[in-house]
Amino acid sequence: MRFSLHHRAVLTKVLFFIVLIASYLISTSVKAQNLPQSTSFNTAKSIVTTPQVKAELLAYAPDGVEPGKTVMVGLQITHKPEWHTYWKNSGDSGQPTDLQWTLPAGVTAGEVQWPTPKKIPIGTLANYGYEGTVLLPVPLEVSQMFKPGVLSNDLEVKLKAVWLVCKQECIPEEGEFVIKIPIKGSTALSAPDFAAAKAASPVNVPNLDIGKSTARIVNDASGGKLEFSIHNLPIALRGQSLVLFPETAEVLHNAAVLGKDWTQAWTGAVWTAVMPLSAQRSASPSIMPVVLATDDGKQAYRAQAQVLGTWPQVAPPAQVPPELAAALKANAASQQEPVNAAGQPLSSSDAMSFLPALLLALIGGLILNLMPCVFPVLAIKVMGFTQQAHLSSRTGGETVGGKSSMVSTGVAYTVGVVLSFVALGGLMLALRAGGEALGWGFQLQSPAVVAVLAALFTLIGLNLLGVFEFANVLPSSVATLQAKNPQIDAFLSGVLAVAIASPCTAPFMGASLGFALGLPAWQALSIFAFLGIGMALPYLLASIVPAVARMLPRPGAWMDVFKKIMAFPMFATVAWLVWVLGQQSGVDGAGALLVMLVGMSMLVWGLSLRGRSKAVVTAVSVTFLSGLVWATGSFITQSTPHTAPAAASGWQSWEPGKVDQLLAAGQPVFVDFTAAWCVTCQLNKKTTLNNAQVLADFSAKKVQLLRADWTRRDPAITQALAALGRQGVPVYVLYKPGSAPVVMSEILSSADVRVAIAKL
Amino acid sequence: MQRRHFVITPVAVAAAALIAAAPAMASVTVGQKAPDFSAKDTAGKTVSLADFKGKTVVLEWVNPGCPYVKKHYNGGNMQSTQKDAADKGVVWLAINSTETGHSDYLAPAALQKWMTEQKSPATHTLMDESGKIGQLYAARTTPHMYIINPQGNLVYAGGLDSIASANPADIKTATNYVKQSLGETLAGKPISAATTRPYGCSVKYKT
Repeated sequence: MRFSLHHRAVLTKVLFFIVLIASYLISTSVKAQNLPQSTSFNTAKSIVTTPQVKAELLAYAPDGVEPGKTVMVGLQITHKPEWHTYWKNSGDSGQPTDLQWTLPAGVTAGEVQWPTPKKIPIGTLANYGYEGTVLLPVPLEVSQMFKPGVLSNDLEVKLKAVWLVCKQECIPEEGEFVIKIPIKGSTALSAPDFAAAKAASPVNVPNLDIGKSTARIVNDASGGKLEFSIHNLPIALRGQSLVLFPETAEVLHNAAVLGKDWTQAWTGAVWTAVMPLSAQRSASPSIMPVVLATDDGKQAYRAQAQVLGTWPQVAPPAQVPPELAAALKANAASQQEPVNAAGQPLSSSDAMSFLPALLLALIGGLILNLMPCVFPVLAIKVMGFTQQAHLSSRTGGETVGGKSSMVSTGVAYTVGVVLSFVALGGLMLALRAGGEALGWGFQLQSPAVVAVLAALFTLIGLNLLGVFEFANVLPSSVATLQAKNPQIDAFLSGVLAVAIASPCTAPFMGASLGFALGLPAWQALSIFAFLGIGMALPYLLASIVPAVARMLPRPGAWMDVFKKIMAFPMFATVAWLVWVLGQQSGVDGAGALLVMLVGMSMLVWGLSLRGRSKAVVTAVSVTFLSGLVWATGSFITQSTPHTAPAAASGWQSWEPGKVDQLLAAGQPVFVDFTAAWCVTCQLNKKTTLNNAQVLADFSAKKVQLLRADWTRRDPAITQALAALGRQGVPVYVLYKPGSAPVVMSEILSSADVRVAIAKL
Repeated sequence: MQRRHFVITPVAVAAAALIAAAPAMASVTVGQKAPDFSAKDTAGKTVSLADFKGKTVVLEWVNPGCPYVKKHYNGGNMQSTQKDAADKGVVWLAINSTETGHSDYLAPAALQKWMTEQKSPATHTLMDESGKIGQLYAARTTPHMYIINPQGNLVYAGGLDSIASANPADIKTATNYVKQSLGETLAGKPISAATTRPYGCSVKYKT
């Protein structure tokens, strides 16, 4: 398998080369016409001439080539009248001239020092480029590593340039150039050209990086604007009208006409401008470098404006500024599959096979029983067994009927749990197939579901406290059915247990469910079924093996106390659900829910009364409750405007593309994928991620902390989770530039995090 | 504080909708309703966007005189993208907004001849000499690609692929955004790159 794949890759490469060579030979496009003109001077030139341009590689090394010195080289393009080539941002169409250098070891090429361009309007479009003669200078850094050959006295510079030249029509052209720069002696023939290029290039304003220049995003009905405030421009410029050239492409409306589409003004020493955004903006930079030139183009300055505010939402994932692209590329080259803390790859389909996933699902289900929202219900159910078990042992031997009825209730409970899990999993798969971006925990992203769960937990709590008995509240036919058919009761208990377990994403479930979603439907559903079997297992065991039940304490008055105590974890869960709803629907929604819970409590209490008082209390509470639902129901399902979480304690909010940007800047990044409704997440957040030592380690290694909040549905976060092979939260990921992201355990210990940080 | 926000939001949305609806005032942006248009195809038949209600529609700005258009047609990259779309039941409208006075202009019959020679499976090739449709969609380059979903919303605007060059050798390594976006939108997923940089020659609009 591996061998044949490798074979195929080699074959593809060979084929690719053949195609490349063939296309080179038969190419009819304008090809490099290398005309190295050895002259009697010390400079070897290389010129490429096309019907539209003359392109020439020039060098300027007045003091020869010496380690530690900078040598200037550059491509000079002389255009035929009306033809032009492009700047680093070509504007609405066109393409920037691209220079690829081949240099000896120890010599590195810097960035192109682009001269100030001209705005070239074409109808409703605008480009940025050059007409006439332009020189694109590039500094070459010569290090100690540079060793010319024994017989060579030159620095050989090779260039492959690709440019697009346009008038009405456009022609892509390319050329290959070679020059030899003498190591000893002076190369200064092109000095006037380089001097002219320098004079035609923008000058950085003082304090470029720490300047106060800003570009504020204004979201308005016309599609958005950027309000520039540029500081530190020279005094001589004040009061003059300036031309703005954005270095970042795909942000501004390039063809904007001054006075009609955009305005500018001087406020004291600060130049301000309001520029419309491009209708189809595809870049969302955090810094906008701009070149500002006088109308005659003779003076130009370069400033960096810090972007303030948030880009309009329709925009896709943020794009990376061009200067970071190279760093990103390098990073992507070393990008691997995510690994777990032990360095093993995870989550891809070959990383986990089907059977271990089933086992993990089983264990995950077992652990669900210990979650604070499930434990009380289970505990009380098991209490029922102890009663039966102790009863039968006291009567000396097990009555056949008692044992078999216990087993059948255990089985009924298991069936209830498993079917509910399969139904829930099936629902999620169906919704995903229908195009919804969902992941595990989606149930709680709906405020209505949170409200219903809060009501359910309140009812269970009140029942445990003895405020009412279900038998008194339910219609008598249902109550009799329950008493006569303990299996149905057990089955419904199973359904209930799954419903109340849904807020608690247990460890292992993340990996297991993420894996499940990539499988054929029947396999995915088996994983959900195993989760259910795991969860039902303790109860099932207790029902089948009486010894297990007998290990529990003897029944007595304590059981009533225990039952009442168990009401309080239920109410605690209600408090937490109300808080979750508050996150989703604001304080009005949470308030409305609380009042409704009070009304509902009164109603069930009223139903448990007898005679006349029952009628009165019930009538009053029904009126009260329906009035409430009518008046405030909409508060519960409303959505709060999404406010960015405060950047408290060094956490920033996660955005698509942000991780890549930070990595490209060389910074390690830790992402906390969390949600208000996820208990494990909240626990980790309050303990490990709040641990002073952990925080100190983070800041020592300058780790950028991002928090992705999935409390409400967010397709971008769902996608990011899917990329990590997960479908639910919590997920903790540590990214390091140039290596695979490390995904950490859901139960996050300070020690694990500190070990991972130490490896940075 | 929050209450006020709720009042402002619908007003702003309504205002935005009004402005977007005003003809030729602002160009469409991704996420908005794609404006309807009518044009004659190369056979002289009038075709409207509204004819394809309920279907996914791709708009391609084309000009056979442009080297970037040639880059994608000569090697069959554009045709394979069109074929891919056709196989998925997607409608493909190639639109030429070159003005009649430009040297690149091809009369309907000549344009159709070229499209036929290219074996292009585009559903229709539309004439837009006035540039009205191009301006409506803020088409800047040839090629410039758009995708409209069955609900009539613009879901993609940008380049055919990710490597802005005239070199056909780059097609191999580039991400074909139109194929990718069609795959995602037809699967009901959000489009991962909904606006990208269109690259190529400028559209030769009437001035």
